[in-house]
Amino acid sequence: MTAVPAMRDLAQRLLAYEAGTARTSEPSESLESLESLEPATPRVPALRVPALRVYEKLRQSLTAFAGEAAFESLAFRALTQAKSEAPSLWAAHVAADGSLQGLSKTESQSDMDMTHAGDGGIALIARLLSLLRVFLGEALTLSLLRNAWPDEAFDDRNAAHGRNT
Amino acid sequence: MSTQDKVKINKLPTGVPGLDEIVGGGLPEFSFNIIAGAPGSGKTTLAHQFVFANATPERPALYFTVLGESAIKMLRYQQQYTFFDPAMLPGAIRFINLSQVVLEKDLGAVLEQIVKEVEKANPAVVVVDSFRTMVRKPESDLDLQSFIQRLALFLASWQATTFLIGEYAEDELRDNPIFTVADGLFWLRQTPERNSVVRKLQIVKLRGQDSVPGLHTFRITKAGVQAFSRTFGLISHAKNPPSHRRLSFGIAELDKMLGGGVREGDSVLVAGSSGTGKSVLATQFIAEGIRQGEPGIVAVFEERPQAYAERAASLGLDLETPQKEGKLTILYLRPLDLSVDETMHSILDAVQKIGAKRLVIDSLAGFEMALSPGFRADFRESLYRMIFALTGIGVTILSTVEVDESFTEFPFSTYSISFLTDDIIRLRYVSIDGQLRKIMVVIKMRGGNHAKDIREYEITSQGVVILGKRLTNYQGLISGIPVQSPPSGSTQEPSFDTGIGRSK
Repeated sequence: MTAVPAMRDLAQRLLAYEAGTARTSEPSESLESLESLEPATPRVPALRVPALRVYEKLRQSLTAFAGEAAFESLAFRALTQAKSEAPSLWAAHVAADGSLQGLSKTESQSDMDMTHAGDGGIALIARLLSLLRVFLGEALTLSLLRNAWPDEAFDDRNAAHGRNT
Repeated sequence: MSTQDKVKINKLPTGVPGLDEIVGGGLPEFSFNIIAGAPGSGKTTLAHQFVFANATPERPALYFTVLGESAIKMLRYQQQYTFFDPAMLPGAIRFINLSQVVLEKDLGAVLEQIVKEVEKANPAVVVVDSFRTMVRKPESDLDLQSFIQRLALFLASWQATTFLIGEYAEDELRDNPIFTVADGLFWLRQTPERNSVVRKLQIVKLRGQDSVPGLHTFRITKAGVQAFSRTFGLISHAKNPPSHRRLSFGIAELDKMLGGGVREGDSVLVAGSSGTGKSVLATQFIAEGIRQGEPGIVAVFEERPQAYAERAASLGLDLETPQKEGKLTILYLRPLDLSVDETMHSILDAVQKIGAKRLVIDSLAGFEMALSPGFRADFRESLYRMIFALTGIGVTILSTVEVDESFTEFPFSTYSISFLTDDIIRLRYVSIDGQLRKIMVVIKMRGGNHAKDIREYEITSQGVVILGKRLTNYQGLISGIPVQSPPSGSTQEPSFDTGIGRSK
């Protein structure tokens, strides 16, 4: 069973957005925590990996309002679900502070590519968004996403309702 | 600016229907408040309503959560309420979790974190939910007191209106130094009463405000907390001067017995046993009011509005048209767990909505039965408050009450509420010439003349019809078993009691 298509679409959009941002912008202050993570591959630092960028933005946004423990348990659940559809995530795990570890060991070189999000990354983010939608509802989930990605237009219809699941 | 100018305290809407009136018009701006009560008493919901009513993107609300309920779960449930607007998050309402600081550091660090967030956001509203869980050791009460003191000083300086939410048991209210810091203390409680739960709200203190004292009933519905003031929101209404206008029943002979009709603003009790025509009389009273251009409310407890209107139609009284025209509301209040205050608020809302001049409560027995058992003890007191409030603004109330027919006594009411009423009309069965017939007598009219006559009446397709003159050839009519007496030779013209000495 995979994440609902609408959430996969939304995850892909976020990953694509971050892929574009990672290529063109300087490291942002909000993502400086990624600098401490091990490089995704010898040539690609974690900061340049779209999936990690999206995950980290979600982590910061949700941890601020729900706390580390709440985010960690959500992320753990999302990762467990995502592993069932993307075996490439086998070595990834969620640390006590909610950060994502071990992604570099699991995703292939192509998955780590700045411009192409891997299936594992999409699955994880889609699962996380799905959980948020289940617990908070679409309206509130989109409000939180708008806050984390103020430059991105999240159309309610396209993002959450457009594709019937 | 002058030396005579006193500071003006702005009042903020609480967002809780009924609560503004209870707190004296709104919550004082920049006040530091504590909402206390047991788990499940509605503290968080009340705070959310205040936040949603006052937060703006320019002056947002900061909602600090500590240990206990996760913000995700809290929002999951809170968004079920109609006041919850997801679009206000996170721009106007920002949830900030402090549990990590609480777990890893001390209260000083918690205060530092709050200060940092407040300075960053410049909020109009700050909520800490729940501040009591910040104290993780029993001996830390002193720390908590100091923390609250410093927090109160800081937030007042930053012009924020603050709510601290805490779980407290009833006996912790007394002598708790933490509460002395607060400008406002809201106490919420819920008490099981037989099979129902009674929720009460008390404003234990509220500095600078003329709040309504006492315990106020509240309910939590899909719209959130709704409070019912003990004064029914009519505290600010000016009392109407006594009226000398008489209101007709639409029954000429009865109007004569009443000295020209019921005095406007009176409370009338129609008492009688089952089948004596109390509801018919009440219906004629309301229908006549509508004919005279006086909107009316009928609160029914024993039959549905449709049945009530159909019964009226069988008497030739059209209650459907005035309902459509907004001149009449028939309220059906039958759920069995109503509080007396919210029932009365439903009536008052309807009265105010259509500008009703006449109100029928049919019947008091049904009214009492519709209440949660725990509220029945308050029935008389609340009824008194409602009658006082409504008649004060010129509404004339007619209540029906069923009394047990006794052939040795002549009770007016089983509720001992006669003192609440200005006028009493008693209906009863009487055995005459081998028939069970009906008689009517006006027992009292406060401050007005009324006939002393005992009159026979019938219920026909035209409603209550009073027959002939007063019954002069019987003695012991009010016993129900009269004996025929020789003609007294007295005139059958109406005889009046002047009501002297019983003025209002």
